[in-house]
Order: sequence, then structure tokens, then C-alpha cells
Amino acid sequence: MNAHDWFVEHRDTFVIRGLEPEEERVFLEHLAGCAECRDEITRLERDLRWLPMGVEPTAPRPGLKRRLVEGALGTRGRRVRWAVPIAAAAALALAAGTWWTGRAREQVLQQRVAQLRQQLDEVRDTLSIISGAGRVLQASITMDGHQGGLMIFADTKTHRWNVVVHGLPPAHPGEVYQFWFICSNGMVRGVQIHPNEVAPAFMTLGMPNDGGEVMGAALTVEAASGQSPEPKGKELAHLML
Amino acid sequence: MAVPRKSVEQSGGQGGDPARPPARVLSPDRERSLHRRLVARDEQALVELVDVATPWLLGVTQAMLSDRDESEEVVQEVFTIIWNRVDLLDREATTLIPWLLRIARNRAIDRLRAGRRRQRKVQRLESSGGPEESFTPATEPDEAARPGWHVHESVHAALRGLPEEQLAAVRLAYFQGLTQSEIAERLGIPLGTVKTRLRLAFDKLRVTLAPIRDWVL
Repeated sequence: MNAHDWFVEHRDTFVIRGLEPEEERVFLEHLAGCAECRDEITRLERDLRWLPMGVEPTAPRPGLKRRLVEGALGTRGRRVRWAVPIAAAAALALAAGTWWTGRAREQVLQQRVAQLRQQLDEVRDTLSIISGAGRVLQASITMDGHQGGLMIFADTKTHRWNVVVHGLPPAHPGEVYQFWFICSNGMVRGVQIHPNEVAPAFMTLGMPNDGGEVMGAALTVEAASGQSPEPKGKELAHLML
Repeated sequence: MAVPRKSVEQSGGQGGDPARPPARVLSPDRERSLHRRLVARDEQALVELVDVATPWLLGVTQAMLSDRDESEEVVQEVFTIIWNRVDLLDREATTLIPWLLRIARNRAIDRLRAGRRRQRKVQRLESSGGPEESFTPATEPDEAARPGWHVHESVHAALRGLPEEQLAAVRLAYFQGLTQSEIAERLGIPLGTVKTRLRLAFDKLRVTLAPIRDWVL
């Protein structure tokens, strides 16, 4: 039995993920350079593609389907992203490198890698919006002697915005930074922004359901207790598409 | 037992046992349409996909994790990936629902192997005296109305065609995410025997499942 025979013998086990973690890693490395095994793995996966349907279906709990849709769309709370892409990528590489230094830390590192993978997915999503942005809007903001700004990357294909707020000091006590959509039927309240002086605040926003066509955006300072449907406070930025 | 693809696509109302409601199916056209609409960020397409796929994804993840909350978290991850990265689907290699099932299964195994849950599960299986039954035949008449039920029945029949000792190994390996050595320990048999049983089982399953590999839900 030569070395390749081992891989041939364990193709099906690899496909069902029945190999031990170390064996799985070795198999993955082998696949990178073996077209024959890659082709056979593809055929195996295709032949067994419906095998998971051997389980009994599980009825979702009430409200789960709605929550799943909202979660996937990102409308169940807003994702505020503080991660800087390069930092996330570097941290992922660091975690990946550390992974192999000792099996004793394997479980902790696996959890960390999963977290970083999630962060990386989010960063990729952010970058996909930025790179695919049909419009980029920018405004400079001076606040309490700080020079900051508001940038909007508008992805016209997916109708999502990446909003970046940078350089602003924390809001005064009792006040908040409020983001608004300027729509054809008036202003629509968006998210509150909590600036961080260390890193820019990133947000991915979908378009509001009401208010009509989105024509622009504004950033104001509002009373923290206020829930007015219209801006009442000082306007820091006003951007039109 | 195997149902040719053509008859499945036509089973949306006329065919089948008259005592049962007709099976709901995704035709190839609808599956392609769903994929195109997801790529175009059509939120209604996501709603439809969640409606069709969620019971099966929950079935896969719960069999692995034995934890309802964690199972739902994995399914959430799957739909988030699909919504954000549906462009990654290689339509030459697979179709939408099998892709979801594979992601769900892989994510569940990752979780299983990341924590101590795996160890607890093995202990629980040992104390309970046997693997959980995942292949109870359908008895409720309205289950045939569930999308994908015809696929489930065919896979179920293929699994029932395996000798009991091979089926036990497949249950633990494929549906509960144990590695070969864990199965050997669990069943108290040599590792080589586990490998042989799994190899024989999957050789047979490849043959029996071949007629349905190009089905859609």
C-alpha cells in the first residue's frame, strides 16, 4: 500500500467528515495537489448530496422562520462593526498560526477562529459593499474642536449602505448622534451612532421600508430621551444622492 | 421505491397516493429562479427558501448537536451565509438545497468538535444504550405535503436497505458526527471493522442514491 492508496481508501470518510482532525488536515493538504482525488471527492459529494435528508425534519418553533429571515438580512438589530479589515485578517492569521503550536489549546483556538471567521465574513461583506458602491458621499464634520467626517458607500445593486463615521468625540451627556434617511416623504429616523475615538464606526444599513424613495442622509445631535420623527437638534452633516 | 425525476417534478397535484396530499416540490425552474433572485438580493426569495429548507436544516443540526438553541444558531449561520455569499454556489457542482444541507452539517460538526459537547454526547449515548433513532418512518398523512418529503422517503429507503451493523455505523458517523475512532469506542469494535462497515455502507448508498442525485426538492 503506497501513500496514495491511503487517500483513496479514505475518500468516503473524508467526505462524511469521519476522519480525525489531524487526518482531515493531511487529507486537505493532499487534495490541493491531487486532481484525481479532487474529482472523486466531487463525485462522492454529488452522489451523497441528499443523504442529509435521511433525518426527520424538525418543526421550527413559533416565530423562528421570521427570526431567521431577519437575522440573515441583518434587520434584527444593527450590526455595528468596529473591526478594521487588516486587523481582523492579521488576527485570523495569528490565530491560524497559533493553532498548530499545541493541541492543548486546540479547543479554545477553534472557538476563536470561529469568531474571527465570522468577523472576516462581516469584513468581506463590508468590503463587497464598499467595492461595489455605485455612489460615495462624504462630509466633513467639526465637533468640539475635533475634525471628523461621515462617509456613505451606497451599493445601488443590493440597496445597502456602508456608513462610516470617524473622528467624532463621544456625544455630550444626555445627547446622541442620530443618523437620518432623507426620503421623498420626509425624514426617517435611522440608527444612533456611538463614536469611538480609537476606530471608525462602521454600519451596514438597509433602506427604510417607509418614507418613500431615499434621497440622502443626515447626521444630527439629538436629546437622548427624544424620539421625535423629525430632527430637532443641531445638524452636523447633510448629504444628498 | 426510487422515484424517477420526471415523476417527481410532475407530482405537484395529480400523482401519488390519493390518500395523501400531493408532495410540494421545487421544480428545477423554480430552484434556478430562487437562486437568481437570491443573487439579486430579493428578500422574498430568502423568505421562500427559509420556509422550504428550515425543517430539514433543523433536523440535520439537531441530530448532530442535540441542543435546540445551538441547532437554531447554526441554521441562522447557514441562512446568513447564503444571503451574503450565494454567489459562491458552484451551480455546476451542486444545487441550492444540498449546498445548504452541506453547510449546515459542516457547521454543526465544527461546533461539535470545538467544544466539550462532543464528549458529553458520547457519554450520553453510552449511558442511553444506543444511538438516537433518526429514521422513524413517516406515519402522519400530512407529512407528505412537506417540501422534500419524497426525497426523505427515498433516502430513508436507501438507509433501511443497509445491514443493521452498517446502518448503526452510518448513523453515528453521518448523522451524529462522530469520527471513526469514536464510533469504534462507542460500539466496542476494532477501528478496522468500523472502516470496513462504513466503506461497504457508502459504496451501497452511492448506488442506491444515484437515481435521485439530480432531484430538486
